[in-house]
Amino acid sequence: MEYILTGVREFRQKNLGGMVLYLGVAAIFLAMTLICQAYGKDFLTVTNIFNIITQASIVAIIAIGASLIILTGGIDLAPGSVVGFVGIVGGLALKSGVPLWAVVLLCLAAGVISGVISGLFVSYGKVPAFIVTLGMMQILRGGAMVLCGGIAVSGFPSELKLLMNAKLFGRMPISVFYVAVLYIAICFVMKYTRFGRRVYALGGNIKAARLSGIAVNRELIKVYALGGLFAAIGGVMMLARLSYADPNAGSGYEMQAIAAAVIGGISLSGGKGNIANTLVGALILSMLTCGLQIMNMPTFYQSIISGLVIVLAVFADKHDERHQE
Amino acid sequence: MSGELLKMSNISKSFFGVKVLDDAELSVRSGEVHILLGENGAGKSSLIKVLSGAYRCDSGSIFLEGRPLADMTPRKALAEGISVIYQEFNLLPELPVYENIFLGKEPAGRLFLDHKKAREQAAHYMKKVGLELDPSTLVRDLTVAQKQLVEIAKSISNRVRILVLDEPTAALTDKETGKLFEVIRELREEGIGIIYISHRMREFFEIGDRCTVMRDGRTVAQLDIRDTDEDELTRLMVGRKVHAKRKGNPHLKQEQVLLRVDSLSCRNCSDISFVLHRGEVLGITGLIGSGKDEVARCIMGILKENTGHVEFMGREHAGTPEGNIGSGLVYLSDDRKDEGLIQMHSVRDNFALPNLKRLAAPLLSRKRVEKATKEYVEKLKIKTHSTETEVQKLSGGNQQKLVIAKWLYSGADVYIFNEPTRGIDVGAREEIYEIMEEILAGGASILMVTSDLQELLQLSDRILVMKDGRVRREWNNNGTLDEQMILAAAM
Repeated sequence: MEYILTGVREFRQKNLGGMVLYLGVAAIFLAMTLICQAYGKDFLTVTNIFNIITQASIVAIIAIGASLIILTGGIDLAPGSVVGFVGIVGGLALKSGVPLWAVVLLCLAAGVISGVISGLFVSYGKVPAFIVTLGMMQILRGGAMVLCGGIAVSGFPSELKLLMNAKLFGRMPISVFYVAVLYIAICFVMKYTRFGRRVYALGGNIKAARLSGIAVNRELIKVYALGGLFAAIGGVMMLARLSYADPNAGSGYEMQAIAAAVIGGISLSGGKGNIANTLVGALILSMLTCGLQIMNMPTFYQSIISGLVIVLAVFADKHDERHQE
Repeated sequence: MSGELLKMSNISKSFFGVKVLDDAELSVRSGEVHILLGENGAGKSSLIKVLSGAYRCDSGSIFLEGRPLADMTPRKALAEGISVIYQEFNLLPELPVYENIFLGKEPAGRLFLDHKKAREQAAHYMKKVGLELDPSTLVRDLTVAQKQLVEIAKSISNRVRILVLDEPTAALTDKETGKLFEVIRELREEGIGIIYISHRMREFFEIGDRCTVMRDGRTVAQLDIRDTDEDELTRLMVGRKVHAKRKGNPHLKQEQVLLRVDSLSCRNCSDISFVLHRGEVLGITGLIGSGKDEVARCIMGILKENTGHVEFMGREHAGTPEGNIGSGLVYLSDDRKDEGLIQMHSVRDNFALPNLKRLAAPLLSRKRVEKATKEYVEKLKIKTHSTETEVQKLSGGNQQKLVIAKWLYSGADVYIFNEPTRGIDVGAREEIYEIMEEILAGGASILMVTSDLQELLQLSDRILVMKDGRVRREWNNNGTLDEQMILAAAM
């Protein structure tokens, strides 16, 4: 009997984090529905839901990279700048007549390279991730400014817009498709590949991981490269959505991505968390924004409320730890 | 020796329906050294945590000088003069000794700290514990033994009445241990009640007055140390008979050399040469700082060698741990908590980690990993609720068995064990020795670094004694060696 009880406890402890998160989503959903009704509007429409996902899409995809890096016990401050930099690189290439597919590849390559450089400094260089990516953040933002002379680049072929404007099955925005595909892919990688399990080990205890035969430096570089890749995908999406290249694009996205990961229950000290929940985190943030827009609340309030949500989400998640003390 | 200072009676505590303390009793007189012993998981540390206010007990009572103490918190325990010194010290390395002693109760002038006064007072307490140092020395520059004395000085400055020492000699040399015992004897003279927790049997008879033996959360005996002996204590602790020594090694194949170390030099050791044959146990011992750890870490590629060669299965070894592990040379660290296992991850994840290549086909299937983990958990009798249990919830012995399990599955040829049974109770220790025997039977070899001389003599086919970074003696363990001879070579 005691054995069964322990089992139940263990199950509850393990799944409590997830449960709190889903309850939170349900609560916000319900609150939004009620509030919108009071304003005489419908919250729960297909259009609104697609809107929420579309709005969340860029941050949600960047947050995949942020989650990976946080899982290794690091942090990435660069992705917002990667979005801006990649946009300018892509924009200038497009203007000079490079075909769109090559531009996309160029942008992704630029993101991966910036990630590899950060990864080299973090792993072999032993420089804290915070410092390396803080530097990378400023270098890339400055780089974007230098490349375009501080002025937005525009006048692109119309096919660029299709990357974000296209609809699937008549009404599903293509960004919803991007989000779905990338999240399914990363969840598969985390669960079924050696790389995925090693990412958790790196954040759990890097010394033990090394003594378990993991080439820790190599794996870390891979993770930072992926961080750069996902940020660059976000950058291309941003370029397509705006259809002009703004050197300031994406500023603040790094924090939103971290917030999405943290709300989703990824532990900032690494080693623990489920990347699928990062998507839930990103959707929560976007849901708040959408709901508040429907209510015509000024954006200042949105910022206050998302700030509260970040802290409260982690507060709820730490319920068990508080009670153990 | 005078009246009863501390009495804990009928202490019970459960976690998730599992009783860790079941009507436990402990009574300590003032001016005695009271040994608290029992296997890992017997409830010693839980009982101490109840005393120090870290745990709240479900039932039972604590009396200090006949006065009941209720609702203990760590703060309250400290105010009552109950001080616990754990193996991991509670000191701030970047602060000087005197500030550490007075942390939280700095002697203040009107507004500012009075550093001069603090230094003078600290010097007084330091003298009491025989610590001859400038009070302004930074704690990070001290040796382990000195840090321990700083902890004791800190306790005295808190007007300690009950001092708990948790495995105080685990990291000390014999000389330092002797000095610590002198300090303990002086504290005893002053009427302080000392609770002494250790796995080292011989120390009990040297320093102890009375002892309390725990098993499965209960107090099984309270004895006068003079009226008992090692055999009786072991029997009380284990509740069954401990195995006899191993004789002869049928697995040894002298003609096959698996590991050859040739004039190896690295940090703290120089000119080390030896060979390890198939099926052999080569024991390396030495005091702390003798270089025995560095040799093991250097062979493994964790430390870089400066000169010399390490040949594994006829080839130069790889310069990285992952390279060596890939070719079948594995290392079981003495620091399970920090290097052996990922504490926050499950038994299954830890088991799978070094074996991902073998378990992936090419993708990992949860079923396959689970099957392999279950098989080894059963084979090595690892006590865990499930394979999903976090490793940090396992006892030390079971953690060590899990470390062995994950490497066993990897099918290595040479296992480097660093302190295979440090901090592990007698019962689990025997089980680990049996597993090591099976490793040999499977045709692999063991390089064992240990400071436990009994273990060294019991398991090794050959013995190397290191001192000051060099090999001092090499012996065949043919039954004529004893602990004194080895100690003499090491010191």
